[in-house]
Amino acid sequence: MTNDKTIRIEPVTRLEGHGALTITLGAGNKVKDVQFNIGSTRFFERFLVGRPMEEVPRIAPRICGICPEPHHLASVKAVEAAWGVKPPPAAIKLRRLLIESKQLSSHAIHFYALAAPDFVFGPFADPSVRNVAAVLKYMPDVAVQAIKIMEFGQELCRDVGAKAIHPVTAIPGGMLNSLTEEERDKWLKAVPQLLENVQKTVDLAKTVVKAYIDVITKVAVTPTYYVGLSNKGVLDIYDGTIHVMDPNGTMVADFEPKDYTKYWGEHVPDHSYATHIYYKPAGYPDGIWRANTLARCNIAEKMATPLAQAALKEMRDLVGRPSHHTFAYHYARIVELVQAAESIKKLLEDPDIVCTDVKLSDVTPRAGEGVGVVEAPRGTCLHNYECDDEGIVTKANIIVATNHNVGGIEKSLMDAARLIFEQDGLKKLRLPEPLVKT
Amino acid sequence: MHLKLADVLPLLDIKYWQAVVDFKLKDLEGYPDKSIAVGFYEGMARTEEDIHLLKVMREKCSTLIAFGSCSCFGGIPGMANFSTIEECYDAKFRHNKTVNGGEVPTKNVPPIAEVVKPNTDYVEFDVYLPGCPPTSKLILTAVTSLLEGKPMDLPPHAVCHYCKREKKETPISEVLRPYVGQADPKRCLLEQGYICLGSCTWGLCEGPCVNKGATCRGCFGPVPPIMRDHGAASISMLGTYAPMEPDKLVAQVKDPLGTFYRFDYATSHLGRIRIKREDMKKEEHHD
Repeated sequence: MTNDKTIRIEPVTRLEGHGALTITLGAGNKVKDVQFNIGSTRFFERFLVGRPMEEVPRIAPRICGICPEPHHLASVKAVEAAWGVKPPPAAIKLRRLLIESKQLSSHAIHFYALAAPDFVFGPFADPSVRNVAAVLKYMPDVAVQAIKIMEFGQELCRDVGAKAIHPVTAIPGGMLNSLTEEERDKWLKAVPQLLENVQKTVDLAKTVVKAYIDVITKVAVTPTYYVGLSNKGVLDIYDGTIHVMDPNGTMVADFEPKDYTKYWGEHVPDHSYATHIYYKPAGYPDGIWRANTLARCNIAEKMATPLAQAALKEMRDLVGRPSHHTFAYHYARIVELVQAAESIKKLLEDPDIVCTDVKLSDVTPRAGEGVGVVEAPRGTCLHNYECDDEGIVTKANIIVATNHNVGGIEKSLMDAARLIFEQDGLKKLRLPEPLVKT
Repeated sequence: MHLKLADVLPLLDIKYWQAVVDFKLKDLEGYPDKSIAVGFYEGMARTEEDIHLLKVMREKCSTLIAFGSCSCFGGIPGMANFSTIEECYDAKFRHNKTVNGGEVPTKNVPPIAEVVKPNTDYVEFDVYLPGCPPTSKLILTAVTSLLEGKPMDLPPHAVCHYCKREKKETPISEVLRPYVGQADPKRCLLEQGYICLGSCTWGLCEGPCVNKGATCRGCFGPVPPIMRDHGAASISMLGTYAPMEPDKLVAQVKDPLGTFYRFDYATSHLGRIRIKREDMKKEEHHD
């Protein structure tokens, strides 16, 4: 009979999936164990076997309702790699427009709907007001700018992908649909207002960061490895090589996606259906890494666009590089939001974006294996398929963004739990007055 | 549409919504029975936790809506029923490119049922809103009619009704895979040889895929009545359009199960047999 105390938080909310926390406390409130229990799995890797390869980009996006675009594109890239197909340049530009639009809306949804309620109403406000419906009610101006950004991203995804959630137009050899000039003109006209709303978001984020700096610099500051795509040092969410940074900030690996099995380990925990991906050469748990916004911003030498580069510099002046501050993920998300908006503008201004030469006619299946990688909003998204000579899937391995993060989430939760239970640290934190009182 | 949703959202008194509000399962379990006006249940329930939540939702909500094709028909995850659970575990935890010799997790995670059973096997729903995903317009129509206490009139048309492509009653001489050639943007995709489920699928989506060059894969399920066998209807549809030798047709359709039963295998006649087989295995085990 032990005197251990178990705290179970069920469900973990503002999560796009199923999760619970189990914290075990021993004598003197010593934190003995922290588990992030992900209690759901659907076995995509099994039921993709037997499907024709070209259908997989239409099935795999159902893994996630928030980031179906990255899955759609990682999937089609994997099929093209297996079949040795190179889509026309204009198709790549459309795909980039699709993934940047998703990045824009996802980051806005995350910041305003998932994260902001805790900061603007304060972390201890009643759940009935600490949510996005209350943001709409008490901060209508902020809500309108949030909705405008999300709407821009989602609707543009729809023009390119036919559907914003679960797009369908990427196909081995290109895209089934091109952007019309009317559509392009409509979006170009909306760009100035988008950039204005993004700037307002940056300003709001900086206010929040300043107000919560004590929390950011003291809670869950957790050194880990970081993983992410980088295109010759530039943060790129569609293409590049996979980089790994160690906890000291040294780049320890830079490799082609097809070589991932040399570097990526997959640990099967006994308490979560979501596996933990880690840096294989360092072993588990030493090699636990994190992906997502902060990882990409730690890894990037620079951003792809000027305003985003200025935002990154400002962030690094505050939290350094690498930043291990879990709460700085929100800040990095805003840096990337700026890059997404600027990239969309650049792509829309490119005359090729309305080019109709977006699909090859002569695509032929062949037996083989392909790996496709993009960056999803939450991190590196990898699809790897093998197929027979008719192009029917014989094996599938999919690493979703979240799985890079669950090991790191447990590590940072352990740090947070120690602060709360062992050091009574919550009382010592300087929390600001809520921005909005209800 | 997004702005309209923003008008509706503050009118709701949200009692439980794990992706949005920080209420816990205990809060939901503590509400009096039928005290919540409307509940939306998303996803297919395969774990003990899912099934528990589904049943609690049924107890607490006066009106329970099956929200999305997973909730209505089992959805894409229903394709896991093509395999046994052990085959699923093998690919996920035991033998794959990056896992080797892992064991199925058992600590503080809910057990997973042997097969995906449709949610309707566990509870009765008052409303079905299919789609992968349901459109914003559909959600808004549903929420508005529930708020105003008015009946929900959903148009019964198939996807073809919303498709701008021209049909000429041309029989198919050859089935083409979707990457082949360049489709005529003005002509019916099916008549050009690309398998399209538009004529058998409920058109609540209003045809976004077919109007942007992609064939329909049936994500809104069958045209009403809601539990009609969508897969069987799709196969007989193809038979009508493609007057060729059965052997030839079978050879050209690479993956009938994954094509015609992609979103509703669990509620189809074939899928029912699969579930029944699993139930019988269990009974034998008990004997």
